[in-house]
Amino acid sequence: MKQVQVHPERCLGCMQCMLACATAHSRTKSLFTAVGESPLPKPRLHVGAGSHDEGFPNRCRHCDPAPCLLACLPGAIFRDPDTGTVLVDPDLCINCASCAMACPFGVLRYHQDWVAPAAKIVAQKCDNCLERQHEGLIPACVEVCKTGALTFEESDEALRRKTREVARSVSMGMEEQPLIPTGVQLLRQAKKQRFEMRCR
Amino acid sequence: MKTKAEERTITKDGQLLLKKMEQDQVETVWDRLEAQSPQCGYCEMGLSCRVCAMGPCRIDPFGEGPQRGVCGADADIIVARNLGRMIAAGAAAHSDHGRDLVEVLAEVAAGKAPEYSITDEEKLRRIAREYGVETEGREVLEIAGELAAAMQEEFGTRKGFLTMANRAPAKRREIWQKVGIAPRGVDRETSEMMHRTHMGVDNGWQSLLLHGLRNALSDGWGGSMIATEVSDILFGTPAPTPNMVNIGVLKEDEVNIVVHGHNPVVSEMIMRACESAEMVELARKKGAKGINLTGLCCTGNELLMRHGIPMAGNHLMTELVIGTGAVEMMIVDYQCIMPSLGALAPCYHTRMISTSDKARFPGMEHREFHPDNAAELARTLVREAIENFDQRGETYIPVEAVPSVGGFSVEAIIGALGGTPQPLIDAITAGKIRGAVGVVGCNNPKIKHDYGHVTLTKRLIENDCLVVDTGCAAIANAKAGFKVAEAIKYAGPGLQEVCGALGIPPVLHMGSCVDNVRILVLAAALANALQVDISDLPLAGAAPEWYSEKAVSIGSYFVASGVYTVLGPMPPITGSMNVVNLLTSGLNDVIGASFAVEADPEKAAVLIRRHIEAKRKALGLSALDI
Repeated sequence: MKQVQVHPERCLGCMQCMLACATAHSRTKSLFTAVGESPLPKPRLHVGAGSHDEGFPNRCRHCDPAPCLLACLPGAIFRDPDTGTVLVDPDLCINCASCAMACPFGVLRYHQDWVAPAAKIVAQKCDNCLERQHEGLIPACVEVCKTGALTFEESDEALRRKTREVARSVSMGMEEQPLIPTGVQLLRQAKKQRFEMRCR
Repeated sequence: MKTKAEERTITKDGQLLLKKMEQDQVETVWDRLEAQSPQCGYCEMGLSCRVCAMGPCRIDPFGEGPQRGVCGADADIIVARNLGRMIAAGAAAHSDHGRDLVEVLAEVAAGKAPEYSITDEEKLRRIAREYGVETEGREVLEIAGELAAAMQEEFGTRKGFLTMANRAPAKRREIWQKVGIAPRGVDRETSEMMHRTHMGVDNGWQSLLLHGLRNALSDGWGGSMIATEVSDILFGTPAPTPNMVNIGVLKEDEVNIVVHGHNPVVSEMIMRACESAEMVELARKKGAKGINLTGLCCTGNELLMRHGIPMAGNHLMTELVIGTGAVEMMIVDYQCIMPSLGALAPCYHTRMISTSDKARFPGMEHREFHPDNAAELARTLVREAIENFDQRGETYIPVEAVPSVGGFSVEAIIGALGGTPQPLIDAITAGKIRGAVGVVGCNNPKIKHDYGHVTLTKRLIENDCLVVDTGCAAIANAKAGFKVAEAIKYAGPGLQEVCGALGIPPVLHMGSCVDNVRILVLAAALANALQVDISDLPLAGAAPEWYSEKAVSIGSYFVASGVYTVLGPMPPITGSMNVVNLLTSGLNDVIGASFAVEADPEKAAVLIRRHIEAKRKALGLSALDI
C-alpha cells in the first residue's frame, strides 16, 4: 500500500507542504479563498527547524499501535481499516489533550475546523488526505513537494531506491554521485558554520 | 554555556539590553529570525523565481522535480536573474540617495534652499573642473548650479559614460571596455538590468552577471560617488575628529534625540537645531541639562565623520537603543530602518518620526522634510522632543561610552600622510604594512552581532594589514576600541610603527556605506601612483556580516574594480554551481578579481592575508607563506 514517505535530507524548509495541507483541509480548497475562511484552516503537518536551521517536515506516522489512539478516553481516535490511517472523530473528541501527551512526535493540534461542530475545539491531525485519495489524487503535501522530501509510494520501493542511491554514492572508479548535490552541501555547510560560531 | 544574549552579540551593551528587552517582553530582530526558521531553501539557493505570472517557479536542486521554470529558464538563468535584481536594487538605493543630494545642490544654487550652503568651496571647484565646468572667476553658486546639472546628466543615457569612472586607473578602464562593462549611466544600468531580467530577454547567465558588474559600477563610480562628493561639498569634507560610541552615549540627564538612516540632508538640519541656543535654553527649562544628539547607522556615520557626533550603535542596535527608555525622539530618513521600530517605540516613550517622501513606516509620525522647510521643521521636531522629556519613565543605560576617532576621508588620509600617498606606498613596499583591507557592510542576525567585523579586523591589524572601514562595520570596530591612537597596541609591529609615527589608529573610519567609494578613490590613487591596476595591489575587501541588497552592489563594484572580496553570509547563488564558480574563480580571468564566501572571520582573515601576500609576490615585494 502506498504511504507518505519522509526523506528529511531533501527538505529545503520551504513550507509549501504546510500551505498545501491547510488548503486541502479548507472548505473552499483554494489557497486564495481559504485564507478568508472562518475558522481559518490550519496545516496538519509542520515544518520544524533543526539545530542548523535545516527544515524537517514533521508529520503523523500513523503508528501501529498508536499511542494517541490508546490514550484517547472518549474513543474519538480510531484507525481506518482500509488504509491504516489514524483518524479523529470531531463529534466524540473532548479536547482533553491526552493524545498530545501520548504522541512522541508532537503532531497533534487543537483548533476549530469547518468539518467539526461549530465553535468546538477538537484534536486535529494528518488524515493522509483520504478525501483526496478517494478522488484519485495523492496527498496534498506530496503533490507540492518538488524535491522529493515527501513521496507517496510503497515503503519497500522507497527503501530500495535509497539503497541504490547510497550504493552509487560509494561506488569506486565511477564519477561520484554525491547523495546531496554540491550547491545544497555548500549552503548547509555555511548554515552549520553560522550556528557553530554563536557558541564562541 | 553561553546565554542567549551572548550567542546573539559580542557587545556588552547589546547583551545587557537584550536581557532587558526580554524582561520587557519586547520582540527583537533575533526573535523574528528564529520565528522564520527554517528559511526557504529554494530562496536561499536563488532557485525560486517570481518574476512573471506564468510562475512562480522553483527548481529542484536534487534533480528529481522540475529543472526549468514555466518559461524554460534553468537554474543558472534563474540564479543569475535573481542576483542581477539584487544588484539593481542596491545600486538604485545608493544612486537615488545620490540624486537627492544633487537636487539639494541644485536648489542651493537656485537660491531655493536658504538654510543649506556650500561648505567646501575648494572641493566644489575641484569636482566642477573634473566635470569640465569652468570655474575661473565665477561665482560659487553659478558653479554649483552647473555642476548639479552635469551630475544630473550622469543619471540618464545622453552621455554614455560616467565622469568619475575616469578616476579609475587606465588599465582598469581598458578591462571594462574590453569586457564591455564600462558603466554608461547611473539609472541606465539599473533600468537595463530590470529589462534584461524580464522574461524572454537576457537568458545568458554569464551576460546577466557581467551586466550585474556594470550595474554595480554605475553605483560605485556613479551614484554613490556622487552622493559622497556632493555631501562633502554641502556639509564639509571630513577630517579626523574624536567621538564617543556605543549605547553609553545616551545621557540620563539630557534630552536624547537619535537620527537613523542614511541621508545627511535631514540629520544635518536636526544637528543645527539641537545646537541652537534657543533649543538648549528650552531643554534647560524642561529640567534637562541639554540636548544630546546621537546617531545610528549611516546617517549617524555622516554626522560622526564631519562633526564628531556620538554614535549609539549599528544596525542590530537600532531596536535596542529604544529599549533604554532614554530616547525622546528618533528621526529616520531611509534605508535599513526596520519597520518593527514604529511598533516597538510605544512600549517606551520614544516618539518616532519619518521624514522622507519615499519612506513610510507603520507607527511613525510622518513629517516630511524638503530643502525649503528643513530648518524650520527640524526646529519644530527638536522642540517636540524636548517637550517629550518629562514623559520619560525608567531608563537603562548600562555601559560607559568608548572613545574613537572618525573622519578619515581620502583627503584627510592623504593629508595625514603629508600630502601624498607615497609614505603609505613606501610602508607597503618595505613590508611594514602588508596591505590594506576594506572591512565594510552591515550587521546580520545570522552572524553573531559584531563578531565577524571585530574578529576579522583584529586578525588583520595584528598581522600588519591596515584596515579601512565604513558603515556598520566601522561602528563595530569603533565600539571594539580599534579607533584611537592607542589601539596600535593591537597592531603588528610594522603597522604599529607606521601608525604610531603618523599618530593615527590602525583602523581608519572612512564613513557611511555610500562612502565605500572613498575606498575606491584611495585604491585608484595608490594604483595611479604606481602606474598599475587596482587588481595588482595588495588590497582586499570584506563584508563579514552583510545583509542588504546595497551590500551586493558594493561587493560587486569592489570586485569589478579589481578588489578581491570575501563575503560572510552566503548569497543566494548556490542553486547554480556555474554561477558560484564564475563569481568565486572564473571572474579572475575576466576582470582580475573574484569573490570568496567565508562566514568564519578567522578563516576569512587567512584567505585575505594569503591573497595579499600573493599580490605582494607578483609585484616583486617580500612575501610570506600563510
